[in-house]
Amino acid sequence: MVPPVQVSPLIKLGRYSALVLGVAYGAKRYSYLKPRAEEERRVAAEEKKRQDELKRIERERAEAQDDSILK
Amino acid sequence: MRFPRNKRRPPGLVNAAVRYSKPRLATFWHYAKVEFVPPTSAEIPIAIQSLKKIVNSAQTGSFKQLTVKEAVLNGLVATEVWMWFYIGEIIGKRSIVGYIMFEDQSLISDYI
Repeated sequence: MVPPVQVSPLIKLGRYSALVLGVAYGAKRYSYLKPRAEEERRVAAEEKKRQDELKRIERERAEAQDDSILK
Repeated sequence: MRFPRNKRRPPGLVNAAVRYSKPRLATFWHYAKVEFVPPTSAEIPIAIQSLKKIVNSAQTGSFKQLTVKEAVLNGLVATEVWMWFYIGEIIGKRSIVGYIMFEDQSLISDYI
């Protein structure tokens, strides 16, 4: 078998510091994005509720207009 | 007609997997013990020296003396080091592709 390569210390240092930096970056960004995503979902749900309400009123109004003895 | 007996199948599969992976794990470990270990505290000054040399070569312009092959190899090594950053990010955000904000957001929920 080929003997294992002696990796230069700079490369080793670079690899593991990049790994640690990546974990820190990922965790930080996750904690930054999570409340924003929840807020956006809450706002979207409220908006949807309002739209559903308006549509319901519109539909009932249309039905009321349509009502006639000739149906 | 012969039917495969399900009771006998699983141990055979596990044994076959173990028999297949044992020598390969041994070679992996043989190389990883030397190549994948983190830098010891004695190696850090050497690493800083190498870094200073690189910065020096960038300042004095001596990096233009590198052959194209050397430059390409250095580029590959630098790319590999940078990929570890993304591996770290995957570990930090606990998801392989994208940030999962809600339980119903990932596709895994389709299969559970």
